[in-house]
Amino acid sequence: MVGRFPPSALVLGGLALGLILVFMLLPLGVVVAASLTAGQFLTFPPQGLSLRWYGDVLASEAYLAAAWTSLKVATLVTIAATVIGTAAAIGISRRRLPGSALLAGLFLSPLVLPSIIFGIGLLIVFSIWGNGPSLLALALGHTVLTMPYVVRTVAAVLADADPAIEEAARTMGAGPVARLRFVVLPQAKGGILAGAFFAFNVSFDEAVIALFLRTPGVETLPMRIYGQLEFSPTPAVAAVSTLMILMTIIVVVAIERSLGLRKVAT
Amino acid sequence: MPGAQGGQGLVEPIVLVTPGIALLFGAFLFPVGQILVLSVVPSGEELGAWSNFARFFADDYYIRVAWRTFRLSLLITAATALIGFPLAYAMARAPRWLAFLLLLLTVLPLMTSVVVRTFGWMMVLGRGGPVTDLLMLFGLSARNAVLLQTETGIVVAMVQVLLPFMVLTTLGVIAGIHPHLEEAARTMGAGFYKTLRHVVLPLSLPGLVSGSLLVFAISMSSFITPNLIGGVRLPVMASAIYQQAIHTLDWGFAAAQSTLLLIAVLGLLVPYLALMRRARV
Repeated sequence: MVGRFPPSALVLGGLALGLILVFMLLPLGVVVAASLTAGQFLTFPPQGLSLRWYGDVLASEAYLAAAWTSLKVATLVTIAATVIGTAAAIGISRRRLPGSALLAGLFLSPLVLPSIIFGIGLLIVFSIWGNGPSLLALALGHTVLTMPYVVRTVAAVLADADPAIEEAARTMGAGPVARLRFVVLPQAKGGILAGAFFAFNVSFDEAVIALFLRTPGVETLPMRIYGQLEFSPTPAVAAVSTLMILMTIIVVVAIERSLGLRKVAT
Repeated sequence: MPGAQGGQGLVEPIVLVTPGIALLFGAFLFPVGQILVLSVVPSGEELGAWSNFARFFADDYYIRVAWRTFRLSLLITAATALIGFPLAYAMARAPRWLAFLLLLLTVLPLMTSVVVRTFGWMMVLGRGGPVTDLLMLFGLSARNAVLLQTETGIVVAMVQVLLPFMVLTTLGVIAGIHPHLEEAARTMGAGFYKTLRHVVLPLSLPGLVSGSLLVFAISMSSFITPNLIGGVRLPVMASAIYQQAIHTLDWGFAAAQSTLLLIAVLGLLVPYLALMRRARV
């Protein structure tokens, strides 16, 4: 029997993995560290430790307003994308529809089209046919952007579900609504939850479409951070960013619990 | 059999997909189509239909911007492939706990807002950041050397932002390579590295190629990271489009540049999607 990995591969590989992990986590770690500074300026390493910049953020009306806007948009988007995306995924996974492969491609297309192109398209459409960008315009754009995640996670779960159960329900006399409610939706539950968490996270973090649809009165958290970074960021920006990283960690844990990261990621 | 009922159940799936299709046509395909229309519509009275494209190709400035975008995207793609392959291989073959840890550390940055990650890189690469200190420590650079507002800085930050896409795409393919193939090569006398080179790498190629196409397409159209790291001195195509659309309000010209970008990106994404479909079957 040959050993699976020679010692040189283990040493080299371990070293490489260590370096890659430092590289991947460095920017996040630096932000978290800088948010804890007691000093006036944004520095790494921080000067002394304190939570004063978190207090600063929580007392800042601009940040609170931006957080509220982000929350409103993300909540609207999560509901819309989850409902529409789940319905579409169930419809597509029936495979009775002609051209369901093409349809699946259409539903996933917002994932691969550059959001800068979509963003400028939305700006032009809302300026020509509407009253310019608004909170609802932003929510609509984010719904398009996040629906594919829901379609993907729900379709992935349904592909593994046993279709015989729904058939059994049908032969026992269950109508379409009852079958959806008591068979298909429970089967798809993990995928629906994971998709909803994804949708919330993507909308809450998204900056490109938000910047194109920028309008007075609608400023999300990523837009505010971007604006601060263009000028001179204070440690308060690091504190807000750390809170956003924290939220992402919570979402990642939630996705792992509901569907499993491995299943979602590949 | 799920499909045995034939046409009986067609109404239900159609009802289910209709809201999604309406949303995609109204709020996605229509705005994108609008860009194509606006890019060819004449912008002034004396100008012809294709004047926006003519203006792009006649101006040295925009050609330079396009060339920088292309060149940086190529570097970024090569670097992510180089780092991404060993990482994806380790993920596919490591014991469960390690594989999960690696996956977590790939997905977590991916799901963090690009604005936040770029902010981190601004501090890392900027004045007084750890990279400057390291370079000075080894005597590799003069005092106060900063990678902020350099092309190197853009590449470093973009590689971190896009590496997860490469890793996850490649992982999908490597996970499908049966370990028996490697074991067979090993028992026939091939060493670990030889097996990696002659068995694993060729079989992973579809994943690496589709990952590269995806990363290249995203970096061509990225805007937040190049804009914040590179600054106004080093514009890429996406930041030029943003300038035209938001600050100079020249929508026709912005639309023409978006159309060119869209053509370039679609030229990459169509083979990517074809490869992904083949890899799934």
